[in-house]
Amino acid sequence: MRKIILKAVILVGVLMSMLGCAVNETATVVVNEDGSVTQVIESNSDLLASNLKIADTKTGFVGNLLKVQVEIKNDSDDALNFQYKFKWLDKSGFEVAIDGRPWQPLTITPYESKIVQGIAPNSSVNSFKVLVQD
Amino acid sequence: MKLVRILAVIFAGLVLASCASGPKISYGDATAVETTTTGFGSTDLQSIAAKLVDDLISFPPIVQMTAQRRPVVFVDKIKNKTTEHIDTESITDTVQTKLLQSGKFRFVDMTAVKAVQEQMQFQMDSGMVDPGKAAAFGKQTGAEFMLYGNMSSIIKRNSSTKDVYYKFTLKLVNLESGIMEWAGEKEIRKTGEKSFF
Repeated sequence: MRKIILKAVILVGVLMSMLGCAVNETATVVVNEDGSVTQVIESNSDLLASNLKIADTKTGFVGNLLKVQVEIKNDSDDALNFQYKFKWLDKSGFEVAIDGRPWQPLTITPYESKIVQGIAPNSSVNSFKVLVQD
Repeated sequence: MKLVRILAVIFAGLVLASCASGPKISYGDATAVETTTTGFGSTDLQSIAAKLVDDLISFPPIVQMTAQRRPVVFVDKIKNKTTEHIDTESITDTVQTKLLQSGKFRFVDMTAVKAVQEQMQFQMDSGMVDPGKAAAFGKQTGAEFMLYGNMSSIIKRNSSTKDVYYKFTLKLVNLESGIMEWAGEKEIRKTGEKSFF
C-alpha cells in the first residue's frame, strides 16, 4: 500500500514539474507579401492543451507597424493562471527586439476567453509568435 | 565512539565539498514573471513600458502624425506618488528606447545637456579641434512634444492578505499649443497572501 502511495506521489510530482516548466502552446503567424496570413498553432503539452488553447489570431497594420490580436480560451471548469509572450520576426525570420516583450501574467475564468494584443516594435516585422505557458 | 568519528568525517567532507563548489549562482530569464514580493518589480516595469508604447504608437492621430515625419520629444520626470521608492527614470528610459526603436519618434536628452555643453565648449575653446569640424552652438533642435506622467498606488491589507494596485499614467503634450495629444494608462493589481506553511 505504502509503495503505491509513494509511486502515486512521485508520478504527480513529475507531472506537476512538467506542467510548471513547459511552453504549452505556440502560434506562429506570418503575413505574406500578398496580404494573406499563414497560421500554425502548435502544442507540446496534451495535458494543458485540453484546458488552455490559442483559439484565434488576427493581424492588421497601424501605419506601417504590424498589430496582432490573439484569443486565448480556457476550456476547463477552473480559473487558469498563465503567462504569454510575443516574439517578433522580420521577413528573413530574424527575431526583432529580442527580449523586448516580457512574459505577461494573465488569469482566465472557467470557459471564458481573453484577448491579448501587441504592436510590432518596428516596421521590419511581418510575422510573430505568441507563446503561452502555465 | 566509532559513530562520532564517522559523523566527523562526513561533516568534514561536506564542509570541504561546499568550499570547493562555492556559492550557487545562475542566470535567469530577464523577461520572466517575477513574484518575489508585492512590491514594484521588473515585470511591472516591462508591462507598463510595453502597454504604453503600444497605446501611443497605435493611437490614430499619432499614427497619422508619424507617418511622414519623426517628431522630437522631450521626456520629463514621472512623479512617483506611491509609498515605495521607485526609479521612475528607469521606466521612462525603457519607454524612450522602445519609441526610438519604433522609428516613430526622436528625442532630446535633457539628462546629457551638461555633458554636451562641456564637450561643445571644449570643441570651441580648447584650440585642439578644427573650427570647421567643431559642432556649432545654437543649431540644436527644440522638442515639439513633452512626455510626462504620474505613478500612484493604493495598498490595502488585512491579517492574511495584501492587495496592491498601481496606476501609471503617461501623457504627451504639444509644447507650443499646450494641447495634450495623447494619454495612456496601465493598471496593475497584485495580491499577496501569507503562507501558513
